Amino acid sequence: MNKTFNINLGGYPFSIDEDAYNYIQEYLHTIRNHFSTSESCDEILLDIEVRMAELFQEHLKGRMIISMKEIDEVIAVMGKPEDFGAEAMGEHKSYYSKRQRKAIPINTGKRLFRDPDDKKLAGVCSGISAYLGIHDPVWVRLFFLALIFGAGVGPIMYLAIWFMVPEAVTASDKLSMRGEPSTVENIAKVVEEEISGLGDKINKWTKDFSKKKKSKSKGYY
Amino acid sequence: MEVKIENSKAQMRKGVLELCVLSIIGNEEAYPSDIINKLKSSKLIVVEGTLYPLLNRLKDSALLEYQWKESKVGPPRKYYKMTSMGQDFLEGLRETWNELNTAVSAAQSLESVATGTNLDVIDVIKVNV
Repeated sequence: MNKTFNINLGGYPFSIDEDAYNYIQEYLHTIRNHFSTSESCDEILLDIEVRMAELFQEHLKGRMIISMKEIDEVIAVMGKPEDFGAEAMGEHKSYYSKRQRKAIPINTGKRLFRDPDDKKLAGVCSGISAYLGIHDPVWVRLFFLALIFGAGVGPIMYLAIWFMVPEAVTASDKLSMRGEPSTVENIAKVVEEEISGLGDKINKWTKDFSKKKKSKSKGYY
Repeated sequence: MEVKIENSKAQMRKGVLELCVLSIIGNEEAYPSDIINKLKSSKLIVVEGTLYPLLNRLKDSALLEYQWKESKVGPPRKYYKMTSMGQDFLEGLRETWNELNTAVSAAQSLESVATGTNLDVIDVIKVNV
C-alpha cells in the first residue's frame, strides 16, 4: 500500500504515488537548476510541465495514479537531465531510501517542562528527570543538593531553570514532557490519570478529615 | 579541455539543430512533439528536453512566434511558426551549411588523393569559413 500525493503539472491535476512523487520532484528540481541561468527559465519549465501533463494523460490510459512506470515512460520521451546537458540525478532506489530517511518524522522528541504533579518545590527536578528518562526524580534532586553543597552554583541553576522552563499545564505538554506523541488516545490517558489522581487525593483528604474528626471527638472524652 | 568524441559529436549536432528545426517548421505551424517526430524520421535524435529551450531561444530572438491552440485530448498546445526574420535567418544558415558541405566533402576526398597539394585544402577552407 502506498501514500498518494496530489500535484499539478503546469496547472493540470494528477494523483501520484509517493516514490514517483519524490522522483519527479528531484527531476524537475534538477532541470530547473540547469535552466536557471536562462531568462526564460520559468517559461521553459512551464512548457516542459505542460508537455509532461499531456504525456501522463496519454500513458495513464484511464488509470488514476501516476506510478514509477509512467514516470519512466514519460522521462524516456522528455529525456533524462544528462540527455540535454544537465547533471544526472541519483538512481531510483538509493534516491528513494535517501528521501525516506529524511521524511521520517521525529515524533518522540521530548520537551523540557517542569512537572507540577510531582514537585517538591517547583517541579524542576521531576521535569528534568522526565526529560532524561530517569524514572525516579530523587536522583536529580540529590544531584542538585550535591551541587549546592559542593559548588554553590546549585541554587542559582535551580532558580534559573525554574524561571526559564515552563510548567507542563496541558495534557499535551505533559505528554511531550515524557516524550510521548500527543495523539487523542494519549491525551485521554493523561486526563484519566489526572482524574484518578484527583480521586486519590479526595480519598486521602476524606480519610484525613475523618481521622481528624475521630481524634477531635476522642479528645473530648 | 580534453577532446572527447562524445563532446565533439554533441557540438556538431547542436550546430545543425537550429537549421534542422527551422527547416522542419518551414512555412507551417508546428507543435514540439511533431517536430521531434520529424527529426526522428530524419534520423536526428533529440529528446524533448533539448527542444524546449531551443524553441524558447528562437522565440525570444523573434525568429519564431507561437499561438495557443486548444486540444481535445489535453492541455492547450503552443504551435510555432517562423517569422520573416526567422526565414532570413534560415536562409543564412542554409548558405553556410552548403558551403561547409562542399568544404567537408572536398577535404575528405583530398585525403584519398595522396599527392594532392596542401595548398588546395587551405584555399577551400579559407573561402568557405
